[in-house]
Amino acid sequence: MTARGLGEFEQLVLLAIAHLQKDAYGIPIVEEIERRTGRSVARAAVYITLRRLEEKGFVSSWMSEPIAERGGKGRRYAKLEAEGVKALRDARRAAERMWRGLDPASLRVK
Amino acid sequence: MTAALTPPRFARALLRLAVPSESRDAVEGDLHELYVGRRQHSPRVATSIWYWLEVLSLTMRFAPDRFMRVMRSLATGDALPSRLDLTLGVRMLAKSPGLALVGGFGMAVGVALSAGAYALFNSYFFPDIPLPEGDRIVAVGKFDALRRVENEQLLYDFTVWRRELKQVQDLGAFRTVTRNLAADAGVGESIIIAEMTASGFRVARVGPLLGRTLLDEDERFGASHVIVIGHDVWQARFGGDPSVIGREIHIGRAPHTIVGVMPQGFAFPVSHQYWIPLRIDPRTPIVPGMGPNLDVFGRLAPDASKASAQAELQMIASRLTAEGPKELAHLDSRIVDYTDVFINAEAEKESTMYAFLRFLIAFLLVVVAMNVAVLVYARTVTRSEEIAVRTALGATRGRIVTQLFAEAFVLSGLAAVAGLGMVAVGLNMLDQFMRDAGDAPFWIDSGLSLGTVLYALLLAVLGAVIVGIVPAMRATGSQLRFAMGSLGSGAKAKLGATWTTLIVAQVGITVAILPPAMLKGGQTVRMALQPQGFAQGEYLSANFFVAREFQVNASESDARAAADSARVTITTLLARLANESGVVGATITSSAPWTGGRDPVEVEGVDAPALSTRTQWVDTSYFGLFDVRVLAGRRFAPNDGALPMADRPVIVNSSFVTEVLGGGDAIGRRVRYRAYGDETMPWHTIIGVVEEFPAGVRSSGAPSTRTMYHLTVPGEWDGATLTIRLRGQRPETFAPVLRQIAMSVDPMLQLSSVRSLDAKYRDYARSGARLALFVALISGSVLLLSSAGIHALVSFTVNQRRREIGIRTALGASARRILGSVLLRAARQLALGVGIGLLTAMLLDRLAGGELMNGIGLLLVPATAAFMLLVGLVAAAGPARRGLRVQPTEALRSE
Repeated sequence: MTARGLGEFEQLVLLAIAHLQKDAYGIPIVEEIERRTGRSVARAAVYITLRRLEEKGFVSSWMSEPIAERGGKGRRYAKLEAEGVKALRDARRAAERMWRGLDPASLRVK
Repeated sequence: MTAALTPPRFARALLRLAVPSESRDAVEGDLHELYVGRRQHSPRVATSIWYWLEVLSLTMRFAPDRFMRVMRSLATGDALPSRLDLTLGVRMLAKSPGLALVGGFGMAVGVALSAGAYALFNSYFFPDIPLPEGDRIVAVGKFDALRRVENEQLLYDFTVWRRELKQVQDLGAFRTVTRNLAADAGVGESIIIAEMTASGFRVARVGPLLGRTLLDEDERFGASHVIVIGHDVWQARFGGDPSVIGREIHIGRAPHTIVGVMPQGFAFPVSHQYWIPLRIDPRTPIVPGMGPNLDVFGRLAPDASKASAQAELQMIASRLTAEGPKELAHLDSRIVDYTDVFINAEAEKESTMYAFLRFLIAFLLVVVAMNVAVLVYARTVTRSEEIAVRTALGATRGRIVTQLFAEAFVLSGLAAVAGLGMVAVGLNMLDQFMRDAGDAPFWIDSGLSLGTVLYALLLAVLGAVIVGIVPAMRATGSQLRFAMGSLGSGAKAKLGATWTTLIVAQVGITVAILPPAMLKGGQTVRMALQPQGFAQGEYLSANFFVAREFQVNASESDARAAADSARVTITTLLARLANESGVVGATITSSAPWTGGRDPVEVEGVDAPALSTRTQWVDTSYFGLFDVRVLAGRRFAPNDGALPMADRPVIVNSSFVTEVLGGGDAIGRRVRYRAYGDETMPWHTIIGVVEEFPAGVRSSGAPSTRTMYHLTVPGEWDGATLTIRLRGQRPETFAPVLRQIAMSVDPMLQLSSVRSLDAKYRDYARSGARLALFVALISGSVLLLSSAGIHALVSFTVNQRRREIGIRTALGASARRILGSVLLRAARQLALGVGIGLLTAMLLDRLAGGELMNGIGLLLVPATAAFMLLVGLVAAAGPARRGLRVQPTEALRSE
């Protein structure tokens, strides 16, 4: 994977942000991935990935106003950036190209 | 939001520590939100556990990331303290020499104890064997379930293992014997010899310096006697003579030919300098659980591991167990690290006690460092304005923390150097001691190793983190914002509950440990100052032992014959000594006059708990030889010795009469040892009372000098202490004469520690003094640190309350009231600490059966408590007086 490419987990996080739209922060992102993929996700992995995606310019984030139920801390919301959308599309296209000519149902381990 | 909806405090703190700053608020907020949500339908405990698990998982994931960042910043030099930081640190120390001295001394003692313990632990429990591929040398033994060596009579097993065990090569065995070595002048000297199979040298993989090592043929019974000697012996005894090979020396009764000299430092299997072949008399029955005690060792085969060797051994063992006797069936054959069998480390390593001990020693430094942190914090807070100004001028928090860390590191680094110095001195003393005793295993390296130095450096960093970073983080955290908001008004900060607890705990510990420490220290100092209680320059003392060759199939009659020969040897020796000119007399005792066993003794017809009493076995000439006066009754007479041991009378000293019998006429009263298990001990009748001897000298740790003397008849024991009184001869000059006589009486009669009684007593008193010094050092540093803590606390309070004091003075409050209110907090904590200390002291004394404080604890503990209060109040008085000098105008102007 190149620096501009996307890892599998990064794709999942980006897609979760895309699904959640304006509601994308730590908790719902974790829940969204778990709900859709059916696998459990390490919370720390999500935070680390979010930071990395932000460093790559794929997402941007901002802090909300402090909230009492959160012990006076705000939420860090994430938003998909154009670069992120492009990276998602590229990843999808690359995967599709690789699948071309293969039938998922007929794949066998030799 | 209620307090009940707050996640666990420490978990939150850990979280904040682990998560990088840019994600910290978001992560903490998310977890908080989830916590509050869960609390709606889950009990608090379950939610807290969930929260902790989440935090731990986050910490594990973020830790490498954090670590890499720190490394990166170190690599770029951002966070590294600069030379200027260190120079500033030295200046700050010079500015507050009190803090530097107290804190430095405390930390030095802390580092010394921690690093010293580390060095000892490592060289004892995790030694590197300084032999080629030393880690592949193993010991094979039979252990009970607790992994303690149970049975060393391994001859039968050894023969089977040697034949069948393929995963361990060159399986060998040895046992240690002591024999007299006859030097040229015919003077005997007891030496320690390894009777070892020739394979031992192959296992060690060390070749001879001269000649050869032992060969398998040398093990044959009846082969000519050969011996290999060590480098030290070769140098000391033979002057490094290269033609020593082929020379004959007398070991015990037989002449041995020197066939080889081993190189310097070689002392395999343990601390040996003489090696003779292990020969098994062909008449020895080879049956399980019989024969001589042996240690079995070998080297793992090239492709073998400890586990594979163990598996092979297990197979052999299960067969032997099925065939062998039932009483040995519980033993477990095991392959262990070579050094383990000599230090029982297998058991030590596994026990939680061992882990706890390590923790405790490391923790000691943390306690000391926290203490110093209190002192430093109190000072750092007074600098909060400086810190605020620097922050306003653009210094980052990291920069300021780094500088405070550097200042602390100067202190802790100096302390570590001083601590290492103490460790070096201590290890050197230990080394000397073991060298004198001659039994330090060859793998023990008690020098200051690189590991120990690095460990001390680590401790210095740890100390600086606690002393520098903790107060710095606090001073630059929320308080900083406060200080910046109120620049020029003097920041108000708090000393947290943890630190208050620390001071209270320290006062408690001081009160609890000072009385017994003072008592013991006082006793040993008294002892060292006391005249030795017997005529100077007249007594020569030696330990003796009549050795025997290994007895094959020792029957009762064999054993009787051996005992008879020992008796003949001793009585002949005494007879020969009596004929020597200049010898006034000789006596045989169980130990030196100032030591002895300790056992609880009870009195017939008195319903009181048995009192621990010093016991000694002496012969009929003992009291006469030492001019001990008889106060009542009589001395032992020869016909007392004709009685069986259980029926013999006893003699007691005067403190026994007052303390055990409660005074009165002692003669004819009967005493006995407290029953041991089901066994009832026989009564002994008191026939005499003697004065205190040696006058009032106590063995260290003994609560009293009360003594009970039993009668022994020379020759009853094959080993004991011989003391000779001389006239017109110096003990030192008579020592070689004694050795010569002993050698001529019986070459198997071994003498050791042949020295004047004066010298032995001096050593004894000195070791007590060393112990007293150690105890004084520890209790002194605890006392110093706790009073420094109180001092810091009060100065802190006064600084905080300057304004309030100013106003109260302006309003006309009396000095006494102000002083009272300032001292109140310190006094409350002192009182609490003293209370805890009193209870602990009483409890400890009760646990030790009232002997910890020698019965005068009731007087001593309150005295210490009062002393501690006084010390505390003196420490508090300085800053409190400063509080009184606060001028109202000044205090208010600073607002």
